[in-house]
Amino acid sequence: MSEFHDDYPHYETMSNHDEAYGKKARRTLWNVFWIMLIITIFELIIGSMAPGHGWTGALWLKVLFIGLTVVKAAAIVLWFMHLGHETKFFKYIILLPYITFILYAIFIILVEGIYSGAPGNFTRVDKIFIEQQQKLKSGHHGAAGAHEKEGAHSEEHATETHH
Amino acid sequence: MAHTAEFDAKAAWDGGQSPFRVSYGKMMMWFFLVSDALTFGGLLVSYGFIRHKYSDVWPKAENVFTHFPFIEQHLPLAYVGLMTFILIMSSVTMVLAVEAGHRMDRRGVTVWMFWTIVGGALFVGSQAWEWYHFIVGTHEGAVRNVWDMATKTYVQETYHGATMAVNEYGVPQFANYFFFITGFHGFHVFSGVIINLTIFLNVLKGTYEKRGHYEMIEKVGLYWHFVDLVWVFVFTFFYLL
Repeated sequence: MSEFHDDYPHYETMSNHDEAYGKKARRTLWNVFWIMLIITIFELIIGSMAPGHGWTGALWLKVLFIGLTVVKAAAIVLWFMHLGHETKFFKYIILLPYITFILYAIFIILVEGIYSGAPGNFTRVDKIFIEQQQKLKSGHHGAAGAHEKEGAHSEEHATETHH
Repeated sequence: MAHTAEFDAKAAWDGGQSPFRVSYGKMMMWFFLVSDALTFGGLLVSYGFIRHKYSDVWPKAENVFTHFPFIEQHLPLAYVGLMTFILIMSSVTMVLAVEAGHRMDRRGVTVWMFWTIVGGALFVGSQAWEWYHFIVGTHEGAVRNVWDMATKTYVQETYHGATMAVNEYGVPQFANYFFFITGFHGFHVFSGVIINLTIFLNVLKGTYEKRGHYEMIEKVGLYWHFVDLVWVFVFTFFYLL
């Protein structure tokens, strides 16, 4: 390409729309916007209600949030980025490599995640840190002997990992 | 779409044809966005791994981000909701600018590009504000044990807010990922605002009017929507899950 801003041949005739077409296009875009806004508000309401109802961390809630996010992402890509208007082959060129690699990344992180231990099964250093945090939060500290105990705890873990 | 024009093979790419009926520049923007999306995908997947591993001690976003400008009360997630609204809104104004460009409506492009830039700048500012409150932290702070070399004992120290090393709300990893991913995204938004501003000035100068089409608006529009797309995921993974 000789120039930085190469021109698509007949770009004008392909993408120059009249007012009637523009009106229709704008209506679609605003509809997409309202759908996305409603989804976001719904997510925020559910998200701020979650702790009171003990939903936080519930699997169905996570699946719901991720599902709604994917819906929003699809709306952005198909209508705002106009991928829905490109040729079929171009859609595949963009989407297939991405989806393939992301699914692979998720797969590999789930597999490797098994070896890193279940939630709460931390390495020794993490354990000391987390126990300290929990102790500080629950208020079992302040006495002079507390520091001694702290040291004893870490040694306990040291022996734990050795055998 | 009006794909009715006769295809002029001679005038297409150097190879003689455009296999995807898109211009070279637009296609390369798409390829760049795919690679950039993979970078963000990698970051978010690794975030998910750490998030799961530390799920017992991971701070809840609704306890961390409770501030709202000019309001003393705690409003969990309200400000990030507003930020999300601003970014989605600026995405809409961007696509309206693209649509105006399709109709060669210079005034429409100017107006919608202007509002897109305003929205982007507002978002970057909001993010700076959010970072500021996260770094400064709460008035109460949190307590941690620090090894004192002089007395060879642990002494308790009160600290506030979050840095790369400490985080009063929970594990430091939360702060690390928060700074890294929202920082990376925020820098993308910042670049987007600069790029939009450049194109906006070209629109004012009439560059695209002379060129006969507003395809450049589509290209920067792709980038801008991508920034919004990433935020949709960052918002879900950091603030909702």
